Amino acid sequence: MRRLLAMVLMLQAVCVGTAFAAKQYLELVVIQPYLEMHTGPGRGYPVFYVIGRGETLTVLYSRTDWYRVRAPRGQEGWVRRDDLAATELASGEPAPIPPYPNFATHRWELGAGYGVYNRENLVTTFVDFGLTDSLDAELALQQAFGTIDNRNIATVGLRNTIVPEWRWFSPTIGIGGGYQSVSDKVPPAPLQKSNELAYASVGARGFITQRFMWRIDWRAYVVFNKLNTSEVLEEWKFGLAVFF
Amino acid sequence: MEIRFGSVLLAALLLSGCSWLHRADQTGPTPVVAEEPQAEPSIVEPQVERRVVKTPKIKARDFELGAYFGALSIEDFGTNPLYGLRAAYHVTEDVFLEGFVARSKAGLSSLEETFPEITVISSTGRRFTYYDLDVGYNVLPGEIFLGRGHAFNSQLYVLVGMGDVKFADKDQFALNFGVGERLLMTDWLALHLDVRDHVFESDLFGVTKNVHNVEATLGFTVFY
Repeated sequence: MRRLLAMVLMLQAVCVGTAFAAKQYLELVVIQPYLEMHTGPGRGYPVFYVIGRGETLTVLYSRTDWYRVRAPRGQEGWVRRDDLAATELASGEPAPIPPYPNFATHRWELGAGYGVYNRENLVTTFVDFGLTDSLDAELALQQAFGTIDNRNIATVGLRNTIVPEWRWFSPTIGIGGGYQSVSDKVPPAPLQKSNELAYASVGARGFITQRFMWRIDWRAYVVFNKLNTSEVLEEWKFGLAVFF
Repeated sequence: MEIRFGSVLLAALLLSGCSWLHRADQTGPTPVVAEEPQAEPSIVEPQVERRVVKTPKIKARDFELGAYFGALSIEDFGTNPLYGLRAAYHVTEDVFLEGFVARSKAGLSSLEETFPEITVISSTGRRFTYYDLDVGYNVLPGEIFLGRGHAFNSQLYVLVGMGDVKFADKDQFALNFGVGERLLMTDWLALHLDVRDHVFESDLFGVTKNVHNVEATLGFTVFY
């Protein structure tokens, strides 16, 4: 039994060892006169080590616009993105630092925001998937807090960024449909606990920094109910979003 | 004399003739050699395949996930333990987006303590749960020193956001703001100390007012 346990442990150690050995890190050569390493991933953290020209560094991982690197003699520290982008691969090709995202190249976008839905406070979260350069599929989960009722709203839609090349201000239009559930805060209970709805939207979006965006949207909803006339509601919202 | 002159001239002619021959040797066959690879197909096909070099990807560790616990002072209902989860995405070195989910349970209000027969809220309504969506800004990044040998990176940050507070069986729109300190024990493990206030409108005691619910928490997060 003990021998079996020892064998299992050895096998595990070998597996773990190979898994670690299989982990490959990017290696880059410094071609500028020197490369500064900071103690933390921020502009204010002091430089504590310098990698000289011709030396090879290992890139471990990134955090925002900073890269954790290991110097040839084992020191670990943080290098600014622009500094690392100026290094080269051993083959002489430029360092493969991924470019900043833009509307045309991104795929996933995640964000949240505040809005007003039918004169009620609204909390919104959304996730978008880029189908083409300008067309996104959008899922929004929202909660509206009214004085007489609360509404949970889920919508799925399509949104078109009219000129995706415009970086700082780019208008959008969209359509979609969804579902809302109503819970009353004060009696009487609502006639219908849930409704289907459809919307059309007009909005705009733009970058605040290289990876951070603002969004503003106006939506007109048609809420389908059992009465003869459908309810028409308005929604305004402002959100912040990031690309993945 | 004439013979000597003639022989010198002859020698000179011969030499020049040789040099011409030599030059012809240089220029003559060269085009033939140069044309050879163009005219004929190469006999040896290169057997070396182009190597596809795959550069390893750099992993981004912009997410921070963790748990926290502490004390929540629910206005009119005493101070109570609080447990929660938090997840953040760091956008730049300054800005991050963070979400919180937490739960606490309210005690008795002073009215209920004085008059035990009065119940302001039911026992299920005493549950205080919230979610928040916040924007954070690292105002004061820096280092904290422990003795001579240790320096920890830290950031003092401010948070502002909104969300839902469910209390007294009602969902309320709530604003929250606060301040916190992130102390990085290692590059992936952080300790958090936070103080945040959740503000929402309440009419539990007959008058509609903004209630402030301040929490002080300690938490741990990991970057991945």
